[in-house]
Amino acid sequence: MRDLDILGVIFILGLTCYAMRAGGYVLAASMRDDGIAARFLRLAPGNLFIAFIAGGCLSGGLAGLVGTIVALVTMAVTAREWAALSAGFGAAIATSAIAS
Amino acid sequence: MTAAGFRRGLVAALPFLLSNGAAGLVMGLTYKGLGLGAPHAILFSLLVYSATAQAITLSMWASPLPVAAMVVACIATNSRYLLMGAHLRQLFGGLAPRKILLSLFLLADASWLMTSSDADRNGPDAGYLLGSSIPMAIGWVGGTALAYAAPLATNGPLRLAAALLPTMFIATLLPSQWKNATSPWPWLTSAVVALLVSRFVDPSWSMLIGGGCGTLVSMMERTDA
Repeated sequence: MRDLDILGVIFILGLTCYAMRAGGYVLAASMRDDGIAARFLRLAPGNLFIAFIAGGCLSGGLAGLVGTIVALVTMAVTAREWAALSAGFGAAIATSAIAS
Repeated sequence: MTAAGFRRGLVAALPFLLSNGAAGLVMGLTYKGLGLGAPHAILFSLLVYSATAQAITLSMWASPLPVAAMVVACIATNSRYLLMGAHLRQLFGGLAPRKILLSLFLLADASWLMTSSDADRNGPDAGYLLGSSIPMAIGWVGGTALAYAAPLATNGPLRLAAALLPTMFIATLLPSQWKNATSPWPWLTSAVVALLVSRFVDPSWSMLIGGGCGTLVSMMERTDA
């Protein structure tokens, strides 16, 4: 495989990914603020957060589930991200050690 | 776009130096195993900058390279960025596209999620998006480079950090989002659909389809956002 072929693929894939990232921003300029699409986008983040976490917990197994729950509860109580992450990561490591 | 927002985002995203660094390291080791040189691997992580797209195209690596199939796979797995970009336009509507081009180049799931959450708390600020994107990009590209520079084993806590920290970090954003919810049904729908999609269809679609279904439920039960 030639270096030039590999470089070409990397640039094409990079351009494709950037087009997806910038495309939504550019296309949304033609969207009405009071339209259905705009309302959908305003309501979407919280639901996408949950879907992201649910998928992550599934792929992360028991350690991921325990760690995420502990991080969430700690954040709700302390409102400090570092505390929540430390507690969550500690719980995940402990769970992983116990389970193995 | 403010300097305060940039700093806030930069500090908030510092944990991603670790998680993205570990994930980038794993990706770099995979590239190394494939026989790619360090410049190619680093360029891949820098320009494509998408774990999903990179993992998918890695699995398609063959000689000759199936470029068209790789592009289609990239579009399919990264279509969620269209939604994210459109949502950012809602937040930063007054900002000219040219002022946000760099931030969009570095747009990632986590930086978008964090920016959305921060906009609810402190108001929309494109500086936050750029600030939160930088540690993530440094971690990802730096991790890929580290795979070639140091003979590190990707097991134990390092692998666990790469796998779990992003999910845990997004979980810490949930309390600030709950105040916007009027009932648990949309979130329950999002979670159940995401789990089903992740289990039976394709994990890379679980966030988009699950979150989309939950948002539809939100739209049915609310008359105003």
